[in-house]
Formats: sequence, structure tokens, C-alpha cells
Amino acid sequence: MTEVLPEFRVVRPATAQEAAAAHRDNEGARYLAGGTDLIPNVRRGIGDPDLLIDLGGIADLKKIEVGANGARIGAGVTLAHLAKNAQIAAAYPAVITAAKSIAGPGHRAAGTVGGNVCLDTRCVFYNQSQWWRESNNFCLKYKGDTCHVAPKSTYCHAAYSGDLAPVLLVMGAQVEVTGPEGSRTIALPDLYGEDGQNYLALKRGEFVTAVLLPKDVLPTVYEKMRVRGAIDFPLAGVAVALRRDGDKIGDLKVAVTGTNSRPFIVEGIEELVGGPLSDEVLDKIGDLVQKQVSPMRTTLVAPFGRRRIAAALARRQASALFAG
Amino acid sequence: MNVVARGHAAGTRQPLVDGVEKVTGRAKYSADLPFADAYAGAVYRSPYAHAEILELDVSAARALEGVIAVVTGDDVNHTYGILPIAMNEYCMAKGKVRYRGEPVAAVAAVDLRTAKKALSLIKMKVRELPQYQTAEAAQAPDAVLLHDDKPGNIEREVKHSFGDVAAGFADADLVREGTYHCGEVTHLHMEPHACLAEFDDERQELILKTCSQVPYYVHLMLERCMEMDSSKIRVIKPFVGGGFGARTETLNFEIIACLLARAAKGKVALHLNREETFLTHRGRQETIVNIKIGLTKEGKITAVDQMVKQLGGAYAGYGIVTILYSGSLLHGIYDIQASNYHGQRIYVNRPPCGAMRGHGGVNMRHAFESLLDEMAEELGLDPFAVRRANLLTAPTQTLNGLLVTSYGLDQCLDRVEEGSKWKERWGKLPKGKGLGMACSHYVSGAAKPVHWTGEPHATVNVKMDFDGGVTILTGAADIGQGSSTVVALAVAEVCKLDLGRIRVIANDSAVTPKDNGSYSSRVTYMVGNAAIDAGRALNDVLVAAAAAKLDAKPEDIEVENETYRVAGSQDPGLTFKEVCAQALVDTGCITVKGTFTVPTEFQGGKHRGAAVGSTMGFSYGAVVCEVDVDEDTGLVSVDKVWVAHDCGFAINPLSVEGQVEGAIWMGMGQALSEVTTFNAKNGLPMHANLLDYRVPTIVESPPIETYIVEANDPNGPFGAKEASEGALPAFMAAFTAAIYNATGLRINTLPVTPDKLVEALSKKQHRDKVEAAKRSNA
Repeated sequence: MTEVLPEFRVVRPATAQEAAAAHRDNEGARYLAGGTDLIPNVRRGIGDPDLLIDLGGIADLKKIEVGANGARIGAGVTLAHLAKNAQIAAAYPAVITAAKSIAGPGHRAAGTVGGNVCLDTRCVFYNQSQWWRESNNFCLKYKGDTCHVAPKSTYCHAAYSGDLAPVLLVMGAQVEVTGPEGSRTIALPDLYGEDGQNYLALKRGEFVTAVLLPKDVLPTVYEKMRVRGAIDFPLAGVAVALRRDGDKIGDLKVAVTGTNSRPFIVEGIEELVGGPLSDEVLDKIGDLVQKQVSPMRTTLVAPFGRRRIAAALARRQASALFAG
Repeated sequence: MNVVARGHAAGTRQPLVDGVEKVTGRAKYSADLPFADAYAGAVYRSPYAHAEILELDVSAARALEGVIAVVTGDDVNHTYGILPIAMNEYCMAKGKVRYRGEPVAAVAAVDLRTAKKALSLIKMKVRELPQYQTAEAAQAPDAVLLHDDKPGNIEREVKHSFGDVAAGFADADLVREGTYHCGEVTHLHMEPHACLAEFDDERQELILKTCSQVPYYVHLMLERCMEMDSSKIRVIKPFVGGGFGARTETLNFEIIACLLARAAKGKVALHLNREETFLTHRGRQETIVNIKIGLTKEGKITAVDQMVKQLGGAYAGYGIVTILYSGSLLHGIYDIQASNYHGQRIYVNRPPCGAMRGHGGVNMRHAFESLLDEMAEELGLDPFAVRRANLLTAPTQTLNGLLVTSYGLDQCLDRVEEGSKWKERWGKLPKGKGLGMACSHYVSGAAKPVHWTGEPHATVNVKMDFDGGVTILTGAADIGQGSSTVVALAVAEVCKLDLGRIRVIANDSAVTPKDNGSYSSRVTYMVGNAAIDAGRALNDVLVAAAAAKLDAKPEDIEVENETYRVAGSQDPGLTFKEVCAQALVDTGCITVKGTFTVPTEFQGGKHRGAAVGSTMGFSYGAVVCEVDVDEDTGLVSVDKVWVAHDCGFAINPLSVEGQVEGAIWMGMGQALSEVTTFNAKNGLPMHANLLDYRVPTIVESPPIETYIVEANDPNGPFGAKEASEGALPAFMAAFTAAIYNATGLRINTLPVTPDKLVEALSKKQHRDKVEAAKRSNA
């Protein structure tokens, strides 16, 4: 029952390349950023790393640059720091909304942009103590062979619960990743996969070093549904980006978090562009969201409600943005 | 009555006497006590919800280097518990495990990592038994019994009938029934359980420092389970980070730590983590209430019939008391002349439930007030009017033998009605907003103690010595509720002393007089009265000394601002120091004592179980709640709460306000979002962490307008009564009534989580649509 951290070593490299090299040379290595998610998990016997590579010493990861070509937000920027950045607030206010909605002030002071973008998927059968998971024969995500929310499933249904991702998705963000084989840039949707166990399309040893935002983004809002106004992860979080052209929808994108194993852009929304924002169209938005989200019993709040709520959030935010 | 004017000490707004330590972080809670020289304790807990233990092998754990001691159920011969007739729990399982997380064995080792490794080496072979998470399953005819001597898995069945119930319903103009379901909740005190046990093998003496509300009960259970002479046991309560009833009984980990310390011949620190604290539980049980009320068209109650099922967990604990309270507290708030009560306390494979703020009365009161609200609407009566039609007049005796000697509910109703501008606003708020109200009450101390010894209900010692310091010695457990401050104020008031002169030493069985503990809101009333009694004794000594020095009669001495002079004289008088020095001449250090005993006429009626619910004074509360419902998300926010609480004379109004706000807040947690959840298939606790057990945060905390109503009690200390439990249940029914007011939906299942409300709203939309279609077709 008693939870004590296992023994591990910690290194604190000064560059991303050194970090990647340390990872390559150690089989049981894990990257450590703010630690607000990783450390509680390790304490509960999830992971058992023998080396933690602390990314906190890499100066380059802590910069926010906003320029003529857009913005580059270092993955090591804390959520509290991001939430206070005036340039981001001016150009990308929804990013601030999302950052401020994450957990509580203490978590935001330590938690990072990279940590939230790559946040481990969550499930009531996974985020439990060693004693608890062991007495339930573990689960498909870690050490077990059954997904307890979908026993016949061949893959894990743990829910992705980061708050920044849906906003970054509708803004068309990319992420810069570094690994033993060097750096590359990938479109954000390509970072994620619909499998709670392997939800990140990163190669071994790769980690996100920055989030890149284009210069011009659509007017965007983010609304997060949760039982409590602090601490809680999203039961459904919806980002809506909409530009109005006269009486018509000039452009529209919707992305959702908290309901699936990945954050995703709702498909089929683009077909509504060019038309008006009638009640029928709002219903259509709601239907598309409701059909594509697949909340499971990964939290104690029932899926039926979360599905409807996700749809309702998309409708009302689209409506609000259209109304200006 | 001991009523005093506000001004000196009692009745003034005082910060808590132990507040500085808490605010600055200097306060040492049990887990803060130095444990560098202690072994680390750890508990092996059952991974099964219900199973017969076939074999328990601890040999590998015992053989591990660094392990000092391993104990199991074999190391203890006696059960522990509350009522002598219902102690059916061992601190570690023997033969059978009955809930997931039940302690089975424990280890003391040189450090925590070794202890943890040792736990992983313990092997338990079992035969699994069916486990039950619902009343239906546990009560099924073929259900396996959790306890062989309890057929039907019923711990206790209570049937009470008073007055002519059939005639009462026959006289009613409106009879309605309702079913209300309250989820199980837990206390969630900030401080996880922890204790430090030290066994002196040479002297065969034990010292336990623990986070208890009832150090005396712990002492008794250690005497029993450790089979030691009680004089060889010393129990100390350090600072405690909340209790709310969780620590109102001896807990298994306290006995386990002592067994480990004895086996290790040394000191053992046993610090439970949050999950283990959840598993230790003793919170408010899941409850299903079926209630029927008869009303005249004026709203007068003619009869009440209620059937209550409580899912009490795997062991008895306080269960019998809870199921009795639940029936008893139907009375004492309104004029009821006919009532039936049928209660069943049922065993299920969950951590045992127990006492929690508002013990026994909360869920039943929620059901009663909710149905009353619904019926008032049907009769076209204002919710305030239906309550006013049923008020009591003190002094009176209820149908079930409870004495009501003071009654401020009428004033409570007036205050919240006025404060919330109910008449102007109720039913007139914009869409999605609503107002609701309800009432509740609670006891000021159980009139009959669990352990009947013939001793006074409370004893306080006061010591005064050469330094001029006045030290109060009390066994009353301050767990954050401010009891030490109350006794200090009582003595300061009676002796007209400066509060700063008084020091309170609480809860060290070697030093302080025994006290039954902090439960049933007994401390202010009983220990407060004992403190007044002790203060009078000290004052007599001081006045006699002053009289001797001033060559006057004691009755001519007047005291003001610690100056003693002959009444009416212009003399400068004597200082406290001078009087103190005079008092010590020939006698030395002075110790005086005060006691308080509840007269037998307050200890309930004659029927079986009548003592439970009996008290010397009832507190009363009325609540108005304003909510805002987001129909898209099902989120309900509590915009504002008005609460009036009749606590009699408010000895420390600042502290009373804090307690009343706390009660509202705790009721809000139960109504809004808190619930324990056990996997129906295997009994796993799904909620045992601070993310999944959704206690409200400061974001959810509404502005609370608190009105203190002072219907002074003739026997209370300065007229005071209970101040921290009475208003809690009222919040819950006011909250659901406000949701109804906002949405037209009666939600009879708590907590009202967003998924539940969204589902109910969508069903209602569907119903409305179908009805609209029918209307247009017609």
C-alpha cells in the first residue's frame, strides 16, 4: 500500500541533443519536464524508470518567440508562464484560456507546454495505486492484458486529457521534436494516434521541443467541461475556430479533447463553410461532434452525458463566435 | 441560566487560541512528529472484496533483511468497536476479509522501502466469496452472510411507531410518497491518518500519539486489544487536521501501530496515504429513503412513515447508533403527532461507514424536506409557510421522548427569508436560475454516553501557580473546531481574566482529565459547562484571597480587568498577581475542578434505542440556496447561500460563523459532486483519490451569508448550543429545490452530477416534445 518513489538516477543535460543522447544510451530512461503527471504515476508504481532526464536545464526550451512568421513556444515553458505572456494573449487568446484551465495554480507553476501536449492518457483503471491495479490484474495500458472499460478491445481506451491540444489543432499548429536522430517538424494532428497506450507518434527517444503557431489564426475559443472549476481534467474540452464572412461561415474548425484517446479535429465540419449558421447548421455541428467523440467509462462521469455535453459546447461556442 | 452580557470574553469574536501555530506552520500534526528513530510501519491490505482466508504466509516478509516485526490477525485476540454489543471487527482480518483494503497484516522495518518490499512478499491464499454492493444483492435470499450471526446481512433493524399513524394519514388532505437516494460520502479531512506508537519493553508501557477525536475511546480499545493494564497506556493527541466523525472511533491503524511497536520493542510511525485514508473511511453511508407524509391543506403534518435502508459497509462500527439516529431525528424540529419508522442497516462489502457531520440525520432530513417542498407546491403553499405551520413551542417533549428546551427555528426562517428577499425573488428569477429552501436541526451532545461509568459527562481541571498563569487541563479533543478556545473563553469569562493569561493543555491521558471526546457536538455544551464550573471554583479561590488581603467579605469583592477591590471603594485594589500570590499562601499550587452531568430526564424515552437522539439542546438551521443551472453541460453553480443557525448564545461568533460555513460547504459537497463509487462487479473503490472523489474546490464555494440566531438554551453554557452540524442537511434539500425552481426537475438522487442532470434534462425535453405533439394533434 505504501507509496514510495523507486530508486532512480536523474541527469540534467544542458541541450536537447545531450538529452536525446542520454535517452539513447539508457534503456529505462524517461524524460522529466514539470513532473506533475509523471511523478505521481511513478510513485504509484507506473513506469519504474531507472533514469530520469530532467529537461529543466535546457534554456532553449523555455523561450516564447512571437515574430513575423508566427510563434514558437518552447516545450519547457511552464503553463503559468505561458498564461501570463502578453504577446500570446494578443495574438492567440484561446491559448491563454486553455492554459489557465489546466489543473490548479500549483500544477501550472510546474507543468509545461510540452508536458501538457504530450500528457499521458488517463483512465480510472490506470491512474491508481500499485495495490489497486495489481488486485485488478492490471490493465492493457500497463502490465495487463485486458482493457477494463472495453474488455473485448484489442487496444487501450484511456482518454487523452490535455487542454492545449484542441486549441493548437484548430490553429493549425506544428510541433518540433528532437531525438537521437536529430530534429523534425510534424503537423500536430500527426502527433497523436487513437490508441491509449501508444497515443504519441514519436520514435523512441524523441521528445517535443517546441510548439509552432502560424502567424494568422481564426478567431478561436476554448471551453472545458469538468465537474469542478479547478483541478479536474476535461470530461470534454472543445475548441472552435470560426471566421465570419458577412452572413456566411468563412471558415470553421472544431477540435475536441477528453473524450477519445487523442485530441482530434472533427471531420465533416469543413462542408459547412460557405453556408449560413442556421439552427440546422448548429444541429449539424452538434451531430458531427456527437458522432465522432467516443467517451468511455474512463472516468466516473457517465459517457452519455459527456457525449451530449461535447456537442452542446461546440454548438454554443460556434454560435457565440458567429455572433461576435 | 448562565447567560452573560457580551463584552468581556464570552460572546466576543476571538481568533482560535491555537490559530497562530496552524497559520504559521509551527503546529505539529501526527505525521510531523519526529520519527527518525522510529521504524516505518506499512499495512498489507486485502486485494479481495469478500473471501475466506485459507493461508496467510508472512515468512518471506519476516525473513527480509531490515524487517523488524510482522503482525497479523493472529497477534490480537479481541475485536474493537463502539457499542459493547456490536464490536465485530478485528484490527487485522481473521479468517475472512470483507472489503477491499481491509488490513490483513502489517510490517515494521528500518525504512519505508524495505517495509514496502516486505508487503510484496506476503502471500495470501483465499477462497473468493460473492461480494455485494447493493441492498438488493446483500439481502437476496441466497446471499452469503458477511457475518454468520447476522441473517439477511442485516446489522440492525429498527421499528418505531408513535401515535396513531393510520388515523393521521386518514386526516390528511394530501398524502404523498417519495424515494430518495443519497450516495455514500466520506469526510475528507485534510490530514491523512497517521500515528506514532512507542513501546517501552522494559517497563511494558505504551505511548500512542494519534490523530483522534476520541483519545479516551482509543485508550479503552488499546487496553482491550493489547490486553494491557490501562495505567500502562498513555494516549496523546497532537494537532489534528480535521475529523468530521472519521476519527470518532478507534481506527484499525491505531491498534496495528501499537501491536507493531510492541513486537518491534520500539517506536513505529504508521502514516497512511490518501488512498488508505479513504479505505479506512467511516463516512456517511449510501442511503435509500422511502418516505410518506400526510398534510392538511394548511400544511400541517398529520403523519409520517419512513423506511430507510443504509448500506453500512462490512462491519458494525457506529451502525446501530446511525440507524437509530435516523429514526429519532425525524422528531425535534416540527410538531409531529404520528410517525412510523422502519430502518435497516445492511452489511455490504465496503469499508465500514460510521459517524459523519450530522450523524444519522442528514439523508433522512434531506428526504423529508424534499418531499415537504414538493407537497407544499401541490397545496399551493409557500415553502416557508409549510414549515411555519408545523413549528414547535419550547419547552416541549416530542412524541419519541426528546426534550426541546429552546427553539429558534422560527427566527431562522425569518432571517433567511428576509436576507434572500425570498418573497420578492422566489419564482421570479430568469431562466436557469432558481431558489430553494429547507430546514434542519441537530443535537448538542448525546445525552447518554456510549460507555456508562457513572462519572460526570465532562471534567475540566484548572491549575494556577506561582507564575500567575492559569492552565486549563482538558481531555476535549480540539480537531480544528475550536473547542480549546471555548474552554479558555469560558474560564476567562467567569473569572474575568485576560484571555492571554490562559493556557489550554489538551489531550494527554497522563496529564489531562478524561473526556469522552469530540463527537455529537457535545464539547461546547458539556465541556463548556464543566469549564464554567471550574472557572467558578477558581474565582471563589481568588475572591477569597482578595477578601483576606483586603480584610473584607468575599461577597463584597468585585473584579474588573483583573483588578480586585471592595465594591464601591475608591481603592486602587489588588492586581491579579497579588491575589494569586495571596491565594497560594499555605496551600501552594492550586488545582480546581469543574464537572458537568446530564440529568437523566434528558436521556430519552423508555423504548428500545430511545437514548439515541436525546440531548439537552437542539440547534436549528434554515437555508436558502440560489443556483444557476447550465442546461448544456448540466453544471449547477451555487451562486449564493443564506443560512441562519440557532446555536443559542454564540460564545465565539467568529468561530460559529466558520463552523456554519463549513457545514454548508460539506452539505454542498454531498449535494453537488462528492460520492464514493465501488465497482459493482468486484468491489474496487473507484474513487479513492482526490481527483475521482470530487470534493468542491474554492471555485465552487459560494458567498455564504450567515445569520446567528440565539435562542438561548436554559442549560447551555451561557445559553449556548451546537454550532457546526445543524444546518448541513438543510443545504441539500434547499439545493435540489433550487434546481427544481430553475429547471422544473426534481432530482432525488445525490449528488447531482452533470451527467445525471444532462440525462434528466434530455428526458424532460423529450417528454415535453411528445406532450407538445399530443397537444397539437388534439
